[in-house]
Amino acid sequence: MKQRYQNRIELLQGTLDLLILQTLRWGAQHGYGIALAIRANSGDVLQVDTGSLYPALHRLERQKLIAAEWKTSENNQRVRVYRLSATGKKKLAAERSRWAQISQAIAGILGPAGEESEA
Amino acid sequence: MKFFWGDGEKRKKELDEEIGSHLQMAARDREARGESPAEARVAALRELGNAGVIQDVTRDQWSWTWLENLLQDLRYGARMLMKNPGLTLVIVLSLAIGIGANTAIFSVTSALLLKPLPYPHADRLALLWLRSPGIGIPQDWPSPGQYHDIKTQNHVFDDTAIAIGGSYTLTGLTKAMKVDGIEGSSSLLNMFGAKPLLGRTFLPEEDRPGRPDSIVLTYGLWQQAFGGDANILGRSVTINGKPRAVVGVLRADFTLSHEVIPTIGEIDKAEFFLPLPLDAKDEANYGPEDYNIVARLKPGVTTRQAQADIDIIAARLREEKHRDRSFTISVVPLMEQVVGSTRSSILILLGAVALVLLIACANVANLLLSRAAGRQKEIAVRTALGAGKSRLVMQLLTESILLSVLGGAAGLIIASWSLYLVHAIHPGNIPRMDEIGMDFRVLAFTLAVSIITGIVFGLAPAYRASRVDLNAALKAGGRSSRGSGGLNVKRDKLRGALVIAELAVSLTLLAGAGLLIRSFVRLVSVPPGFNTDHVISMQVSVRGPKYTQEAQIAQFYQNLSERVRNLPGVTAQGFVSSLPLTTAVGWGPLEIEGYVPPANQPELQVDKREATPDYFHTMQIPLISGRAFSDSDTGKSGQVVLIDQKMAERFWPHGDAVGKRVRHNEHDTWKTIVGVVGVVKEYGLDTDTRMVVYFAHAQVTEMTMYLVARTTNDPVSVTDAIIEQVHAVEPDAPVYDVATMQQRFHDSMARQRFATAMLAAFACFALILAAVGVYGVMSFLVAQGTPDIAIRMALGAQRRSILSLVFQQGMSLALIGIGAGLLGALILTRVMAGLLFNVSATDPLTFAGVATLLTLVALAACYIPARRAMRVDPMVALRYE
Repeated sequence: MKQRYQNRIELLQGTLDLLILQTLRWGAQHGYGIALAIRANSGDVLQVDTGSLYPALHRLERQKLIAAEWKTSENNQRVRVYRLSATGKKKLAAERSRWAQISQAIAGILGPAGEESEA
Repeated sequence: MKFFWGDGEKRKKELDEEIGSHLQMAARDREARGESPAEARVAALRELGNAGVIQDVTRDQWSWTWLENLLQDLRYGARMLMKNPGLTLVIVLSLAIGIGANTAIFSVTSALLLKPLPYPHADRLALLWLRSPGIGIPQDWPSPGQYHDIKTQNHVFDDTAIAIGGSYTLTGLTKAMKVDGIEGSSSLLNMFGAKPLLGRTFLPEEDRPGRPDSIVLTYGLWQQAFGGDANILGRSVTINGKPRAVVGVLRADFTLSHEVIPTIGEIDKAEFFLPLPLDAKDEANYGPEDYNIVARLKPGVTTRQAQADIDIIAARLREEKHRDRSFTISVVPLMEQVVGSTRSSILILLGAVALVLLIACANVANLLLSRAAGRQKEIAVRTALGAGKSRLVMQLLTESILLSVLGGAAGLIIASWSLYLVHAIHPGNIPRMDEIGMDFRVLAFTLAVSIITGIVFGLAPAYRASRVDLNAALKAGGRSSRGSGGLNVKRDKLRGALVIAELAVSLTLLAGAGLLIRSFVRLVSVPPGFNTDHVISMQVSVRGPKYTQEAQIAQFYQNLSERVRNLPGVTAQGFVSSLPLTTAVGWGPLEIEGYVPPANQPELQVDKREATPDYFHTMQIPLISGRAFSDSDTGKSGQVVLIDQKMAERFWPHGDAVGKRVRHNEHDTWKTIVGVVGVVKEYGLDTDTRMVVYFAHAQVTEMTMYLVARTTNDPVSVTDAIIEQVHAVEPDAPVYDVATMQQRFHDSMARQRFATAMLAAFACFALILAAVGVYGVMSFLVAQGTPDIAIRMALGAQRRSILSLVFQQGMSLALIGIGAGLLGALILTRVMAGLLFNVSATDPLTFAGVATLLTLVALAACYIPARRAMRVDPMVALRYE
């Protein structure tokens, strides 16, 4: 079971990190809130798996890209809230431009439909 | 891997709460959308998944990732190595030999050069030597007069000692024993930190004249001669016929050997110590230059400062005592004294093994590159799955370090075997032999070398892997994308460069070994000036009250000679005071009638030896002109001498030496030269001899002589019979240093032989590795280039042209490597100049020879891949595409 989750993390790593950082750009948020925001902002296409989300959050925290603290929500519930750190902001900027490059490159390779050929 | 996390329990609870709040928020949202509380809770739980597993995976993120990665890499690495046991074995084995050789040579280096000598403040101890290079005396012992001057006039030593060592006869036990001892000032034992096990060492005033005769025994002699007698203190022992009271026994760990203090009596190590009483007359005596001076530098004084201070004293002596202009007294630190000339050979060997290891690294890197070619797909997949470059490099480096540490462990076994071998062979003249072994320093060295080795040979494959072209590698579907189609070494610059480097380093090693071998061959072919076959030799000595007159001594040797000559199997027998290729020496000033040295030149110094008439005949030293000594040359007849050809050519180049006269000094009677004999290599085959004068032993007697006997059969077989005869004439005469001349001849080259054999072995290993390297890269090239070859063949290329294509590729690498190696060797072999005999460090013949050898080996290494290329079946090969 554990092995299966790890594989999923590996596949999503990088991309999920980028999405989390991007989400936190709009303000501090707890894990559940982040998951909701990603789902909403992607038009329900990306469903963040909890089994990937929390490892990713704790990893980013360890890397000091985000910081966490306990707060009380409007429903009087204790929640762990994450916010973007200074290094996290820099990292986000760098990752965004890298992402732009990659997607451009992939688009270039895929090209307009129909021209695909095998050597 | 959670044990590094301090507040683990608290964080665990917090994570539990965090997931719990997530669940509650999700359920509340569902309720808000109209689901019943129970439904909402079940749905939220389902959406969340297995909370336990989530927590588990999340907690993994807290752990020390580098450590976890390392363990993961190690597990993975071990799996990879196990998957290909053949390759792993080859790699570990070649690393084991490389690292093992380094460990072995390092343990020698460590024992010799790094370990301090076993004396307190050993770094401040020094020996003082006289030097007169201008008159052919590189090193000589000082005299009591010089000791007195140094002791009273220096400003740099906080203590000094004088000593003289020699062989003595210990009597009063069941059998007379030859024992070696040192007479010295009371300060000597203190300076070397000798501590008594029983009794005491010498009192400060015990080295003044008129004190009772005392003796301090070493533990070894106490055990050996006195059976460890507990009541030894106060017991009287007889040394050279004189009773002495034992005042102390030294501890077992104390030794003072010839390596530390080479005495004029050439004793191996001191077995006892006597006080050396010097009176005012002795302190003004500059004549007997037979003593060792030991000094301890004041704290903070450097050798250079001490030398400058002693230079002032030496300059005064040069003036007052009319020494030659090159006369100096040199301060030699104890470590330098012990290690001396061995240092350069050891450092060269250390350099050579480092080069061997470098070649091994290049080879392993090449092997790993071949394997990496097959692993491109695996690496591409890992990259696609998100593994970072640094992570990949780390993983590959972990694998290579794992390999090299395995190699290092196996290397330790090889090193301990080779050290065992070195001890067993016991190459002559290697100091501190007993101290050589494995210790923590050696183990630390091996570990460090193993890790560095792993990084060095792992970097190239790791770098290559980190640059894998994802698309190409994945598309190629497991086949390597590199080189498919091309049969050109230039396509793989990295591997080409590695092979070139391997060949270049091998050539350097080969050149070094070649020079040593050539120099050794030259050395062995130097005629020693006598026939070494079938000659037994031993030192015999007489002392004591029975031998106070010259005639008594001469009579002893004459009686002995008659007895030995009549032994069955002995054809000739003679005596000489200093035998060639032994440490016995003798020299001094000489006056030649009618020759006045030019005013600005030092007095004439020559080697002086006493010999009996049959010595020259026994050793087969040729008589050039005149006659040898005869039995009629006695104390009553006219004084006669023989000179060697070197002296004859220097002073009487027209062959008219016979009849001329020489003497020791102005107090001596003139002695007539009656003959000229051949030059004998006294100091070893590689050392120039000095001019020699032989005195007739019947006229100038010596108490200690070397006996030589020529035999019809194995000379060893008559040894016991000869010793029996010595004791038949004089039961108290000790016999020592027994060896055949063949053995002495062999031993005199022990160090050269050892260095040559070691370097030759390393060079051989380098050659094999280089051959494997060339073979590996060419086989790989051919395997990768098979489609290309097939196409060429399908298009009508001749098999011969394929063959020559492969050779061309391989040899282009080889020739670049050999060229680079020649350049490197030209620079590096210079450091060996001191080890070479009659061969220049850039000997063109050697260089040409090793370059040819390496070219041939490279050709042979290309041959198998080339044949394989030639036999490619185009139909089979192309079908795979």
